[in-house]
Amino acid sequence: MIYLSCIFIAAKMSSARVYIDIEAPELQPLPIAIDQFKNIDGYQPDLAPKIMKILTNDLTISGFFEIIHQGEFPQGNDATANPPNYMSWSTSRAEALVTGGYSAKDERLAIEFRLFDLVEKAFLSGRRYEGSVKDLREIIHHLANEITYWITGERGIFDTKIAFVSTATGNKEIYTIDFDGHNLRQITNNGSINLSPAWSPNGRVIAFTSYIKRNPDLYLIDLTRMVQTMLSTKPGLNAAPAWSPDGSRMALMMRREGNSEVFIMNRDGTHPKRLTKGWSSEASPTWSPNGREIAFVSDRAGSPQIYTMDINGRNVKRLTFLGSYNASPSWSPKGNKITYCGRLDGLFDICTINGDGTGIRRLTESSGNNEDPVWSPDGRYIAFSSTREGQSRIYVMNANGANQRRLTSTKGKESSPTWSPRMDR
Amino acid sequence: MVKKSCIVFGVIFSLMMVGCAKKAVREEPLVTGKAEEEAWGKPTEEAEGVGIEERSLEASLERKKYPGIEGEFLESSLLNDIHFGFDRYDLTPKSREILSQNAEILLQHPGAKVQIEGHCDERGTIEYNLALGERRANTTKQYLLSIGVSADRMSTISYGEEMPVDPRHNEEAWTKNRRAHFIILSR
Repeated sequence: MIYLSCIFIAAKMSSARVYIDIEAPELQPLPIAIDQFKNIDGYQPDLAPKIMKILTNDLTISGFFEIIHQGEFPQGNDATANPPNYMSWSTSRAEALVTGGYSAKDERLAIEFRLFDLVEKAFLSGRRYEGSVKDLREIIHHLANEITYWITGERGIFDTKIAFVSTATGNKEIYTIDFDGHNLRQITNNGSINLSPAWSPNGRVIAFTSYIKRNPDLYLIDLTRMVQTMLSTKPGLNAAPAWSPDGSRMALMMRREGNSEVFIMNRDGTHPKRLTKGWSSEASPTWSPNGREIAFVSDRAGSPQIYTMDINGRNVKRLTFLGSYNASPSWSPKGNKITYCGRLDGLFDICTINGDGTGIRRLTESSGNNEDPVWSPDGRYIAFSSTREGQSRIYVMNANGANQRRLTSTKGKESSPTWSPRMDR
Repeated sequence: MVKKSCIVFGVIFSLMMVGCAKKAVREEPLVTGKAEEEAWGKPTEEAEGVGIEERSLEASLERKKYPGIEGEFLESSLLNDIHFGFDRYDLTPKSREILSQNAEILLQHPGAKVQIEGHCDERGTIEYNLALGERRANTTKQYLLSIGVSADRMSTISYGEEMPVDPRHNEEAWTKNRRAHFIILSR
């Protein structure tokens, strides 16, 4: 965690206006001009292009912005003028403008930015961030979150991370990486088979399954101290952990009478309670954001399909009927949709479906096997694994299927992404 | 209600299994290797019979360890894998035959504790395959139980799609990878 102070400069008194509608099926990115940040005190002039690069990349991968670069700025315009010369901007496609400056004496970094609406000719927001130069990337992520708030009505998620499994070392270990694909970090290093990482709602620990003791046991790893502890070690499966939204409980797969069932237990591993019964196999539980329902996979009807139930195990409803293999549900943080992977035309694709079983949308097509979808904490993105480039890799896309990009490229096969909560709350 | 139907199903299941098992039992010499013949040496007259069987099992054993998993175990070339159809966990007639042979070995060596591993091919999701592997291991265990191998000697584990014997991505590899495999934890 970095020390970061954020000083509110000024903002329009009204709340953020939504300039682009995120829910629209065809989203038109907002053209935004970003002026190179001014080096105020003369220290570390090389930071200016770095700031530009990080900020441009964040806003581009969000899928909500089209960056207007300096070369396209109107002639003779002084972008640093405050307020900007709105008249001269009227010839530009840009609808918003970001200006800013920084100082970096003694490795102490202070960055200010201002955001203007060039169409309404209005100042929207300005903030000042202070921290250490080594935290530059994180500070810019916060800045990009703020810009996203003013343009889309909700803060960005540029400060979030994704954990996933990779075989880079020859076995399955867990890694984390930033949303923008930087800061790859190996989290487990036990040489065993490590599966299904699940990031806790407070962001501090990751639950996962490991075969260290010749049983698929459930472990926790503390991300600050990097200490691994055992949580559930019942003979048979202790797999596919899913945190309740308040972090107090966990749903998981456990064995009863020779097959896998959905259980709920306390976050310390105590009081496992069985929710599903019968001869079928149940897998991959996921909580609804209000904590009252669980979606899961069951083959009770002869093939793997997605069902929902109340957390007392009652009121079971089948959600998917299309296709003979639907699995890996993830409930959106807004509660209205579930994403999953379904086998269509022999290969797996990522789909979303409404909570009442209507409105199926297929988000990937003709691009290898696409599996393990998981929502970002703002519900605007989905991370998933795909074999579209041969070896299985982690990709991120907007929730409507647009802007599919590869997150990273470790040496091994990548699978099972899980998204961190927002870190800048 | 649920319990009752489970029992009925269980009884029918075991009867079916026993029926098939009887047919499947065959007299067949155990395959022996050169190493075994050497280890065997000259059998004394009275040592024939059980003695040969024991030596055969001994000679068939190989000490192994899975990387990243605590503890060593033994594998016997006499305990053969069985295979499953895609997304299936039911036993084929061939599988029952193999399991009968495996059961013969196990019944001759009542001290051996085995672990039955359920494995899947790479298709389908990692987590659903964990559930499927659990089922494959359990179906195998239940069959062995029905033909006389006691439950306290058998444990099961699902490895899902995590331990393919053939890493390729084609039908031939997938067929090999959908299996139940036997290891000996102690004897």
